[in-house]
Amino acid sequence: MNASRARMIWSVVTWTIVLAVVFPLIWMIVTSVKPQSELFSIPPTLMPETITFEHYRRLLTDTPFLQYFRNSMILAVTTTVVVVVLGTLGAYSLVRFKYRGRETLATLVLFTYLMPSVVLVIPLYLMMAKLGLANTLASLVIAYTTFALPYALWLLRSFMSSIPVDLESAALVDGAGRMGAFVDVVLPQALPGIVSTALFTFILCWNEYLFALVLVNSDSVRPLTAGTMNMLITSFNIDWSLLMAASVMMSLPLIVIFTFLQGTLTKGFGAGAVKG
Amino acid sequence: MAEVVFEKVRKTFGSTVAVNDLDLTIDEGEFVSLLGPSGCGKTTTLRMLAGLEEPSGGTIRIGDRVVNSVPPAKRDIAMVFQSYALYPHMTVGKNIAYPLKKRGIREPERSERVMATARLLELETLLDRKPAQLSGGQQQRVALGRAMVREPQVFLLDEPLSNLDARLRAHMRAELIELHRRIGRTMIYVTHDQLEAMTMSTRIAVMNAGVLQQFATPADIFHRPANVFVAGFIGSPAMSLVEGELVGSGGGDGERRFRVHCGALDVALPAGLLNRSAAPGPISLGIRPEDILLGSGHHTAAVGVVERTGHESIVRLDAQGTPLIVRTPGDTPIESGETVRFSLRVERLHIFDSTTGLRLNADTKDS
Amino acid sequence: MHSDPPPSLEKRYARIGVVLIAPTVLVFCAVILYPLISAIYLSLFSIYTPTLAGEWVGVDNYTALLASGDFWNAALNTLIWTVGTLMLQLVFGVAMALLLNQSIVFQSLARSLVLFPYFLSTVVAVLVWRWLFNDLYGILNHVLLIAGLIDAPVNWLGQMPNAMISIILVGAWKYFPFVVIVVLARLQSIPEQLYEAATIDGAGPFQRFTDITLPQLRDVLVVVVLLRAIWDFKEFDLIYLMTGGGPVRATQTLSLLVYEEAFRLNRMGMASTYAVAMMLVLLGFTLVYLRQTNRLEEG
Repeated sequence: MNASRARMIWSVVTWTIVLAVVFPLIWMIVTSVKPQSELFSIPPTLMPETITFEHYRRLLTDTPFLQYFRNSMILAVTTTVVVVVLGTLGAYSLVRFKYRGRETLATLVLFTYLMPSVVLVIPLYLMMAKLGLANTLASLVIAYTTFALPYALWLLRSFMSSIPVDLESAALVDGAGRMGAFVDVVLPQALPGIVSTALFTFILCWNEYLFALVLVNSDSVRPLTAGTMNMLITSFNIDWSLLMAASVMMSLPLIVIFTFLQGTLTKGFGAGAVKG
Repeated sequence: MAEVVFEKVRKTFGSTVAVNDLDLTIDEGEFVSLLGPSGCGKTTTLRMLAGLEEPSGGTIRIGDRVVNSVPPAKRDIAMVFQSYALYPHMTVGKNIAYPLKKRGIREPERSERVMATARLLELETLLDRKPAQLSGGQQQRVALGRAMVREPQVFLLDEPLSNLDARLRAHMRAELIELHRRIGRTMIYVTHDQLEAMTMSTRIAVMNAGVLQQFATPADIFHRPANVFVAGFIGSPAMSLVEGELVGSGGGDGERRFRVHCGALDVALPAGLLNRSAAPGPISLGIRPEDILLGSGHHTAAVGVVERTGHESIVRLDAQGTPLIVRTPGDTPIESGETVRFSLRVERLHIFDSTTGLRLNADTKDS
Repeated sequence: MHSDPPPSLEKRYARIGVVLIAPTVLVFCAVILYPLISAIYLSLFSIYTPTLAGEWVGVDNYTALLASGDFWNAALNTLIWTVGTLMLQLVFGVAMALLLNQSIVFQSLARSLVLFPYFLSTVVAVLVWRWLFNDLYGILNHVLLIAGLIDAPVNWLGQMPNAMISIILVGAWKYFPFVVIVVLARLQSIPEQLYEAATIDGAGPFQRFTDITLPQLRDVLVVVVLLRAIWDFKEFDLIYLMTGGGPVRATQTLSLLVYEEAFRLNRMGMASTYAVAMMLVLLGFTLVYLRQTNRLEEG
């Protein structure tokens, strides 16, 4: 079997599966632009006969969707900034410094991202209540930081340990202090990794559900995930068109990030996953 | 005074002793090579001097300052790394300017000095390129430039030529010698390549397993190696070493006379060859390849492999079970499988005590 | 007059290192120490969630747990769910990675697209699949009916064993890309020369797979299996949103049980007891993972 025939066969097989995997998402988009009448036709139509953006319009004007979107944005961006700053410094410390308890800390990092969120949510709920932060975005930022930070550290550690130590040594000899070497040499080199981690953290926060469900109970503070599910529960009839439109809009940041930065995003996984 | 002094310096990593009680005084303006096989402690020593490792014991002085706890930035040294360690995200110009920036030197002086250094190393046209766009030789020069631009008291070089191909290495060796001559500062050079050490240094510190073996001029190291290790390490092809025995041979004239029985060789040593503490006992006999003369003499041997390089030939001999290596001019008529006669330049023999490894010849200098 | 010798370089650097990691350590105290101690502490109480009023019950919660049918039911469901979805994730993940490692048209596009389910919000995934699974209007039933595989619409989420199968499938769909990413990265790092040498030695494609590819994948697969096992075990969002644990606790896993106890039955103490039980199991997994990764690093 020559090379181009093999390539064709592999392509057909692979793409069939890829399309099957992606189909639910395509169906989501298709459903969101179908008029209601067509939605409930039996048999269901594969391609929409008419395209309407009515559901999107309704979503943005008749529901708190925009508010949810804004909340999610603020939440995800704030948490990402906090996590990336703490994580970058922490990862650098773990990788380039020697002090007592460093190894124990590294193992503890491991333990944290294995904690079930359902176990964390109870004490966090109590803590927020006691601190008077119940039902605020701040409580979510704190909560999200606690579970996003271990992942960020995991990713950042593997990026940083791949930067040659000689570069920092050279900077030290050239006249920089440890932190000067960090800023001048390590940060620029780690930048792609830091961007990857930031994107990953953003997605993690954007998609989170349980903490948003438990720690917040008013629309003004609710992020998209809990908000959209709330729309589902509170309505009498399940408005699938609306929900599909909401799903598409909720996935927009993901699609944007993915289109432009897919390579950077997954690089850390491959490398970091095995080292753990 | 940019004298560099190591006083009883030790470095341990866990239970491994990397550098063991090093005593070394390097004078200002010298070019000293730290030479030895991998793992001998030479790089560790250099890094302790740079401040990238901290000594476990002892003192290191630069000038009259004890620098054990002084951060690298404040030691007034510069270093060229084996990997060059050029900052990948900065241009060549910025790389060279970096040390000046850290010292607070502003424009326009900074650019002037960068330009001056670049001109010296023929890098002017490359200033806007990034390190990844340069060849190995160019990268090496940038690393040198970055070290030179600060005009430090001491230059440290960690095997800077090992990543270059043979021809470029030869060229850079000459360049470095010229550079040292021109700027006259102290240079400390780590290498495992004896040719580099021998051709470039004012003095060589030979190290093995963390211990200083000998610190002397290249000539002394070559002609008067302090112990068996140095003798076997220096010289290419290596010195032939044969185990054997030193016996006294009576001489009625009041002079002590000795013979050696080493393998198939039974040689009378010239009077005065050995020092006063020499006594009969087990020894190693060392013969440099150029001190064996082929063609005549009362020793014989079978000829093994002959490597002809054109201007000379390297011949392996088997003298009744004793292997020897000989260096002989290229036009010597000799073939594998023949039997050949040879003689030894007895005044050039080296005798080493088997137990201590120390050289017993009378002209051995104290390190 | 001698002044004290300056603090050694190593000590000064160590201090900087500690300062850099301090904020993270603070966060970790909040994440590990506090919940751990809290959960254990709370499990010894009976607490009414809305008012947080509680009273000491000692180990009563634990004895209730062991006697509780709900607990063992949830434990069994968690086992079935974890094993089921993990196996599918593994099989599909490895197969997909192998395919994507071949030369195919639009290779990088295919690689990107296949990752979407993993990075999608669970809420979105659940909404989409619930719509797909809809018994009357869902496209899945429609396609199966047309293909003749079923002759009446199937109730995917409200009936057993369908509900468990459904969530296992959706779990596999959502998480298999993680396996793909890790395995693909490993496959790409296998030097081409190994295959070339084997071909010269006369090995055919299947042999090359078993003799070169599989051994190289072994280490990575062990890590992936352990990680996914841990993460699937503690999954909450997906199952809660798909079936809520129904029909009637048939898909209620331990995570869902903890949630129900704490926020529906308002028994925070009991919920903490279940939580402690979960953590013990996860601790077991984690220790195995640690031992495996250490062994891999040394070996």
